[in-house]
Amino acid sequence: MKCEWVKENVLLYVYNELPDDARYELEQHLARCADCTAELKTTRKFHTMLSELPVEEPSPNLVAASRMRLQEGLETAEQGRFWHRLIFDPAVWLRQVRFAPALAAAIFIVGFAGGIATTYKVVSDKGASIASGPVSSPAESSITGIQSISQDPASNHISIKYNTVSTQEAQGSLNDQRIQQLLLFAARNNYNSGVRMDSVDLLTQEPNNTHVREALMYALRYDSNPGVRLKALDSLGAFVKSDPRVRDVVLEALIQDSNPGVRTDALRLLDPVRADSSVRTVLQQLAQSDQNQYIRSQARIMLSQLPEFD
Amino acid sequence: MAGQASRIDDTLLVREAQRGNRAAFEELVRSYDQAVLRLALHLTGSEHEAQDVYQEAFLKAYKSIGNFRFECSFYTWIYRIVTNLCLDHLRKRQVRKEDAPVATDASGEQYDVLDQVPDGRSGANPERDLMRRELGKRISHALEKLTPRERMVFELKHYHGLKLRTVGEVLHTTEETAKNTLFRATQKLRGALADMR
Repeated sequence: MKCEWVKENVLLYVYNELPDDARYELEQHLARCADCTAELKTTRKFHTMLSELPVEEPSPNLVAASRMRLQEGLETAEQGRFWHRLIFDPAVWLRQVRFAPALAAAIFIVGFAGGIATTYKVVSDKGASIASGPVSSPAESSITGIQSISQDPASNHISIKYNTVSTQEAQGSLNDQRIQQLLLFAARNNYNSGVRMDSVDLLTQEPNNTHVREALMYALRYDSNPGVRLKALDSLGAFVKSDPRVRDVVLEALIQDSNPGVRTDALRLLDPVRADSSVRTVLQQLAQSDQNQYIRSQARIMLSQLPEFD
Repeated sequence: MAGQASRIDDTLLVREAQRGNRAAFEELVRSYDQAVLRLALHLTGSEHEAQDVYQEAFLKAYKSIGNFRFECSFYTWIYRIVTNLCLDHLRKRQVRKEDAPVATDASGEQYDVLDQVPDGRSGANPERDLMRRELGKRISHALEKLTPRERMVFELKHYHGLKLRTVGEVLHTTEETAKNTLFRATQKLRGALADMR
């Protein structure tokens, strides 16, 4: 009977899932029973064999690529989330509230006219006086979302809860950590390409900083504006030889950027590392079959300048 | 000790993330993402599919972090999301396999063209590597004979070392059920791989 119990529990034993007292009893039994010991051996052998399908550690490239792709996804998701806060579900809204059409119009204008900008100014001259409370006057601060609207049926008095963010200003030099943080944030998160361009432009003055370099690589990979990508590329060009990550990102831009100007620039910047095997492989492909004639011929020229070796 | 500290950190980060702090969410991601990738990679056998699972899992987590009420640890919560996505993946694969094209390899054995087994690191001994890859393939085949749930329990327990209690929590079931599923899965695998040395 004991052997039966042991055989049933040997799997859990191997997985270290037995409670201490059961484990002790099992070990005591194994010391006296050849059959059960053999069973343990078989189970262990089976487990060893299963490791012929090993769990591989994801490569650093895979981790980095996944993280970057996720960041892009998070940005898009954030947009969606924000919209959700601004736009009312009209059915719910109508059910809960009856109030002056002018005010309703004001709220809608505030909600819709805001667009996807992160802040917008409140329309304050529609005649409703917003309860003061601990909030600063609406002219100074910007509304990011309206939490609730209710009307007292007795007095028709309206109460609106809204969230605000105040616009602030930071001043300083490029060495200032706060300035750097804001620039890095702006390079990725602003929907105005002009602001992104300005921030990337400033960041290109400090490409030695790891975070800055990452932001520039991100901009080259993912920014929707080719001007911004070009700016980032030009700054990263100097590091193509010393930093393999930069080389890989520039190579990627060469292969798949949608803008021919960016691709041409990338090709030019890869010249110092044209002997590199990954670069070589790409050049060979481009020389053979790229759609863009200039790139085809440039790739051929670069390849012809390579020393012959096997 | 370190475990306690990291749980407190998680709680703070989760609260911050719930307030809309994306940097806090990204910090959380960084503590778990390699484990998630490891799981998805071993289960799907493909870097590309692993990345898809990763992306979906963390986006889902980001969108629903507001609903996380600390009824379990964040660890369990994340694993639940990933596991459910993996289960979906396994179920889809099962359906595809029913009309999957089948080919014959050099030894005359049939295999599914849709099979993907990660190419292990090649060492100095190509013959041994080939054999390894063959064994790996056979194990992969055998794992595919399990039901999605059996495969998931086995994967989490055997390959990723989660405690059966956690496996139960992740799959919204009891430790006892997880245990029985593990037994069934092991039985099936031993049967399928009986002739392997």
